[in-house]
Amino acid sequence: MTNAIQKLYPSTKMSIVLAVILFTLMMPGYISQYSVFPIFIIIAFISGVGTKFLSAFIKSIFVLVLFIFVFQCFLIPSDTVIWSKGILTLYKEGLEASLLMTSKIIAISSSLIWFFLVTPIKDMMFALEKAGFSKKFTFVIYSTIQLIPQMKKLSQTILEAQKSRGIETEGSLMIRLKAFLPMLGPLVLSSIQQTEEKVLALEARAFSATVRKSSYYQMSKKPVDYLVISVIFIGFMIFVWWRFFK
Amino acid sequence: MTFLQLKDVSFTYPNGFQAVQHINMQFDLGESVAIIGQNGAGKTTTVKLMNALLKPTSGEVLINGENTSKFTTAQVSKKVGYVFQNPDDQIFHSDIYSEIAFGPKNQKLSASEVKEKALHAAELCGLTKWLEEHPYNLPYAMRKFITIAAVIAMDTDIIILDEPTAGQDRHATKLLVDLINHLTAQGKTVITITHDMEFVANHFNRVIVMAEKQVLRDANAREVFWDHELLGKSHLKQPYISQLAYSLNLNEPIITLDEMVSAIKRRINS
Amino acid sequence: MSMITMKNVYYQYPLEKEQVLKNINLSIEKGKVYGLVGHNDAGKTTLCNVIRGFIPSFYRGKLTGEIELDGKTIQEYSMGDLATRIGYSFQNPFTQISGVKETVFEEIAYGLENLGTAPEVIGEKVRELIAMFKLDALQEKNPFELSGGQKQRVALAAIIALDPEVIVIDEPTSQLDPQGTEEIFKIIDLMKKKGKTIILVEHKIDLIAAYVDEVIVMSQGEIKMIGKTSEVFTNKEVLTYGGQLPQVALLSLALQNAGITMPTIPITLVEAQQAIEKILSREV
Repeated sequence: MTNAIQKLYPSTKMSIVLAVILFTLMMPGYISQYSVFPIFIIIAFISGVGTKFLSAFIKSIFVLVLFIFVFQCFLIPSDTVIWSKGILTLYKEGLEASLLMTSKIIAISSSLIWFFLVTPIKDMMFALEKAGFSKKFTFVIYSTIQLIPQMKKLSQTILEAQKSRGIETEGSLMIRLKAFLPMLGPLVLSSIQQTEEKVLALEARAFSATVRKSSYYQMSKKPVDYLVISVIFIGFMIFVWWRFFK
Repeated sequence: MTFLQLKDVSFTYPNGFQAVQHINMQFDLGESVAIIGQNGAGKTTTVKLMNALLKPTSGEVLINGENTSKFTTAQVSKKVGYVFQNPDDQIFHSDIYSEIAFGPKNQKLSASEVKEKALHAAELCGLTKWLEEHPYNLPYAMRKFITIAAVIAMDTDIIILDEPTAGQDRHATKLLVDLINHLTAQGKTVITITHDMEFVANHFNRVIVMAEKQVLRDANAREVFWDHELLGKSHLKQPYISQLAYSLNLNEPIITLDEMVSAIKRRINS
Repeated sequence: MSMITMKNVYYQYPLEKEQVLKNINLSIEKGKVYGLVGHNDAGKTTLCNVIRGFIPSFYRGKLTGEIELDGKTIQEYSMGDLATRIGYSFQNPFTQISGVKETVFEEIAYGLENLGTAPEVIGEKVRELIAMFKLDALQEKNPFELSGGQKQRVALAAIIALDPEVIVIDEPTSQLDPQGTEEIFKIIDLMKKKGKTIILVEHKIDLIAAYVDEVIVMSQGEIKMIGKTSEVFTNKEVLTYGGQLPQVALLSLALQNAGITMPTIPITLVEAQQAIEKILSREV
């Protein structure tokens, strides 16, 4: 975590995301929205998370975008046919609708993916608590985020236990699917059982104390944060003036 | 005849952590063996290599002369049964009977055979009264017995118990001893990981001591518990009775209460 | 001085037919260490839950009788108050991690944060605990990557961080090797020296015999015996309740059966050594 961008205060980075979302929604067409994506690739590489950014994007958003395109362009019939071969027909309205929709999805999601990659959860929670959100609220968010790697580990252990009981988990998709079902049981049961005990364990750590929670970990806004926020604010105002009042 | 053999086995986890180095062990059928050692000595990794949950990074694991690397864990599970340390990782049925019957059912046995094996295993583990209950209605220590029964029902040649004594009371420990004796009498091999030195001294002949990823000694309990250098190296302790014999300078490698009684008797009478 | 008093306490879990605690009368003295022993399912953990107030605030069911902490009924304390007065370390190491901290250091600090302690004070206290619990090598590790025994140690440290007057510890060593077990008992001893009142549930009778002041024997929801360690563990009645005696006490009973009577029944190794030396020298 030596990167200057990663070290920015979470709300500073969030303001960038907000500006991108508003820009995306206020701009007509799709070209400027699409151009947000390459800009974020560059920003991601400068932030030191370039490869992670691309891999996260391709695994999630790219698949979604592809799906929308196929669905909208070929499956929803309209008046204007652009191209047709056999059972496949490409409609103009569908193409336009999908361009508009996907351009916004790509722009907004790339800013969000970048945000989560460059903002440690710890920083996010600190900022939320500092901003006055309740202990319960931040706890729910944090434990949900932590839950994913935990569930992964738990399912790994359960999978091992299942294999030891003679369930075949290696091989064809069918075999793996069959192995997946008996895994859900202990995963859910274990999680419920653990939740009950966990509530008590938290209680033992004075979770119900009525005083305001403190934090051993500290971070604060630096001059660079104010600078970034100012630049974004002014830039955004200029954009609004240009878009609506010029 | 050797049934299970680990030949110069090393294992490194994908994250680069080397858990065991150059392990050599062999087991005949009908043996009862304890594996002892500090937390982190590599005991659990070693037993996971035995049932092919892990495949050696180097060296080989042979069951009946066949290398486990060719088989899946599910296939090896017909020969080697493994009871996990934490029962909650293993339990997934909503009643105890189904939990125990799951293994034999999976082995495609006839309905009557499944029932017979499950009921027998439940009886051995003292669970007959609770077959209809939800596993989570029993306390943690007893849930462990559900998972033991579930593995016994699979009727494997080798049964591995990972820390079965943890948190068990006197009655449950006795049950465990009877269980191990019963299984070995049937010609099965039981390999038990434990931290309970009294349990080992009283009930096991063969003891394997592990420390820092390696096997330090494979010998009988008496030899192990009276080798102070070995115990020091592996951060283990003598059983209480042995400690007492040591501090009394009895000059006898005592490991059980009965031995102590007769040693004192002899001294008084002589 | 009595820290905790329980009078005619009965408890029944919701939907269960039988009472899990029956006629509990108990006085826990300030600054003493109590060993709570008994067979699996004797009601030990339930009793701990009542003392800590998790029954009835978390587990419903039917609780009757009086429970007082430091002269006030337990209901008069808020949940947050109780956390700082009675520390509770749980039996299952796998569920004790908060799930919201990325390092062992922060995990131990979590309770103090909830109490609003200043960062500098937190740092100082946590460093002290890390040294005490020998967690130096683990302090930067993610709590989830620890073994059961390590989690248990971290959880206990996190509870002691809150500096409670009473500490309830439910089977802290079941996942630990002999050395780790001894370290836990040394910490318990240290806490005792600091004047803490400790209630310890544990199956390792020989260590209980060496470290605790008083023993409470439970069986089937009732307190069957209570008294000084040296009194309870020299009484073979413990065995009839499904409990266990220290190895050396069992030895003296076995010797008695063989016609050799010890002057007093030992409960620790040192006592046993002295007693046997006496027998041997007198007879020789």
